[in-house]
Amino acid sequence: MMPRPWWSPLSDACFGLIPRVPYARPDRADCQGIAVVAQGLSAAARPHGPTAFTDASFSIPCGCRTALIGPNGSGKSTLLRVLAGLVPAATGSVQVLGAPPQLGRARVAYLAQRPRLTDPFPLKLRRLVQMGTYAHHGWFEECHHGDEAVDRALHLLQLTELADRPVHTLSGGQLQRALLARATVQGAELLLLDEPYAALDQASRDIVEAFLFAPTANLTIVMATHDPADSQRFDRILELRQGALRTVHACAGHPHRHA
Amino acid sequence: MLEFLLEPLREPFFQRALLAVVLSALTCACLGAYVVLRRMAFLSTALTHSILPGVVGAILLGLSPYLGALTAALLTASGIAWLSARRGTSEDSAIGVMLSVMFAAGIALMSAAHAWRDFTGLLFGSVVSVGATDLLIIGLTSGGILFTLRVLHKELELAAFDEEYAELIGARPAWLRAVLLILVALGAVACVRLVGALLTTALFVIPSATGVLLGRTLPQVMGWGIACALFGGISGLYLSYHCTGVPSGAGIVLCCAGPYLVARLRAPRG
Repeated sequence: MMPRPWWSPLSDACFGLIPRVPYARPDRADCQGIAVVAQGLSAAARPHGPTAFTDASFSIPCGCRTALIGPNGSGKSTLLRVLAGLVPAATGSVQVLGAPPQLGRARVAYLAQRPRLTDPFPLKLRRLVQMGTYAHHGWFEECHHGDEAVDRALHLLQLTELADRPVHTLSGGQLQRALLARATVQGAELLLLDEPYAALDQASRDIVEAFLFAPTANLTIVMATHDPADSQRFDRILELRQGALRTVHACAGHPHRHA
Repeated sequence: MLEFLLEPLREPFFQRALLAVVLSALTCACLGAYVVLRRMAFLSTALTHSILPGVVGAILLGLSPYLGALTAALLTASGIAWLSARRGTSEDSAIGVMLSVMFAAGIALMSAAHAWRDFTGLLFGSVVSVGATDLLIIGLTSGGILFTLRVLHKELELAAFDEEYAELIGARPAWLRAVLLILVALGAVACVRLVGALLTTALFVIPSATGVLLGRTLPQVMGWGIACALFGGISGLYLSYHCTGVPSGAGIVLCCAGPYLVARLRAPRG
């Protein structure tokens, strides 16, 4: 628990006077067991840029762990950014958790390959993880809640000892784990991960894998990866090659599995 | 020594300037933390310098200088946004273009009015120039800015640290950036009497740069920034009072630089 300053009751009272406005409309979409469904999807990485991939059609059930593979420049990152709502689809249709991709959905979390964080920034790791609760709050609202969720997430990703460290003193792997912890605190059901292992050493990677592939974790994962050794762990493999979604291996018969 | 400190306090103009400097220090240090962390120091320089043609134009036309200053600052901010929206012009060069064009316009207007002397207070600040109306305007502006910063604290912090996550959860980082620019323009307008158009940017940058060296969380950065700005502002006013001829803006900036240098030399690395 963080100590509360003496003036906080006063500050809370002032905040109580301001109406609360959510960042986005509440997300009540029912996905009926399908996390992602895309039909004839194409998109460009940046507006007016070349198309990154075309005519991708696939579906991912809830609880399914999906690997997105393919060489550099094949459009993996763009596909993930389309699902996150950061990049608009050029053609085709896509539904994410029962609604078109859009910003402001607490149920979807996205981790960029190279997170663009302001560095240095006076922020402790604990506060970074706590930012995950913002998605459930809105404008003009102070947030002190979520201490238990933050503690749990820190413990899950083995960051408890680092909680008071300034963010800019963390290693790349520790930071990546912190961002995953933030996604956990956000309560995301669908994790869109862009090469999350790229900055990790073996120890960090073990922690992250244990978290992502825990049989008890009720997560749907779409992960861009280059690691062929990994493919055993996934339920489903989508391959992007030369801008087209070529093969879809659905590996049935794995122990943990989909709805 | 005591007389050195107490004598100016008997002058009503000095009391007003003192109150104005305290308000400005609070506002500029809190706002400056975001300016420094988001690396907008050059942008804030452009906004504060561009006040010049606005104020000169307003005085020549017989309008309120505050209105002219605010118009000019907002014009500069939107001009920078418009220029850098096109491919091929980086924000950096857009700022450079707007800064020099607006400042040149200010100099042209001043020369046209044949009144260089009357405008030195505007360029470098002046202790004697803070009237009761100015104090009221400074008070209202500071109150508004501090209230906005407090209310949007968590969003501004998030957008300054991780713009993409702010976008993902729908917290509109582009709006927040625009809000911050408007606040900087307002803050610059409020400080112009005291510190002058040329030096206002220092009040945003120097205390907060000190704060960034010493603080480990954003409130700590702001706290150290306020301490530095208060020290620099008050001692600068005394300097300007006792050394006749030193404009208050120059005094304040020089006195702010002291704590910054000490912090820079003493701060632990890393």
